[in-house]
Amino acid sequence: MDATLKLWSVVAIVGALNYVSRLSFIALFAQRHVPPLLVRAFRYVPAAMLTALVLPMVVAAPGEPALAAMPKIVAALAAGVVAFFTHSTMKTLGVGMLSLWLLQALAGRIG
Amino acid sequence: MRRFLADADFRAGFAEMVPACLAMTPFGLVCGVGAAAAGATLWGALGLSAIVFSGAAQILAVQLLAAGAPLAVIVLTCFVAGLRFVIYSAAMAPYLRSLPPRWQQGLAFLLTDQAFAAAIRRFHGGADPRAGGLHFLGGGFALWLFWQATNVAGYFVGNLIPAQWSLEFAVPLCFIALLAPHFRTMPTIAAALVAGVLVLALAGLPMKLNLIVAGVIGILAGTLADFARERWTPR
Repeated sequence: MDATLKLWSVVAIVGALNYVSRLSFIALFAQRHVPPLLVRAFRYVPAAMLTALVLPMVVAAPGEPALAAMPKIVAALAAGVVAFFTHSTMKTLGVGMLSLWLLQALAGRIG
Repeated sequence: MRRFLADADFRAGFAEMVPACLAMTPFGLVCGVGAAAAGATLWGALGLSAIVFSGAAQILAVQLLAAGAPLAVIVLTCFVAGLRFVIYSAAMAPYLRSLPPRWQQGLAFLLTDQAFAAAIRRFHGGADPRAGGLHFLGGGFALWLFWQATNVAGYFVGNLIPAQWSLEFAVPLCFIALLAPHFRTMPTIAAALVAGVLVLALAGLPMKLNLIVAGVIGILAGTLADFARERWTPR
């Protein structure tokens, strides 16, 4: 298949499927009553999904030495503490990036 | 359009999303670099970022395109990685019920990890549907606009940024900023703990299935913990 056609097929099909996923329950529950059990379960969506998204980006990838991920893990924890107390994206970013750079510089000196 | 731009809730939503947009810059750059590396034209790269509008799906798509994977595999992989949007959709639905269908259809397009987390926090805080909807529209629009800009920038100059800067670390940090404030109750901590352990334990699953499986079981764990807490709390 021609490369350009293939790319645009991906854009069209994945774009459509993503949109259907995004609209699914918003449209479905527009006319129906949402069961109370589900409403209760929805409260835990951000905590569970965001944790599942974040963790693989922070800890070592399979095959990577565990020690190599240490600066990222420590920096992520520091950022988490700042986020917990300040609710500020900018402060979380600042502390997280600065900690990472500092720890990577230290790790480079020791290793 | 002008009607929205003048609206206070829309503008507040836009302004409050700017820090998150900046934090997503490295992610957008990486997506642009990936599209260029996969041999996409500028319009193809823009098509991906503007229509698919999901960093995770875009990265998977360009990696698989570059590797010469069949169309069916690419589509299925991206679809599974995007299944979390179904859960976001369900969680947003109760708050968007009273809005007109056209609003629901428009807002659904802007439903991303960032926009969802920001909107759900606001709705939990008790925003009314109209104000919350406009706020969501403003934030979602900001994200969409920045996303196109950073993808295009990445397409042209993304690979000039030194790898030692580890700018990609801004992406998890951005999610941590949204996540950490949730850790105030026992059931939320249980949900996160279970999801976290599972996503790592199941990292070998294909098509990033570990994300959705860990997420769903984490949500179940949180719900069960919620019932358990209710049962054992003395009245």
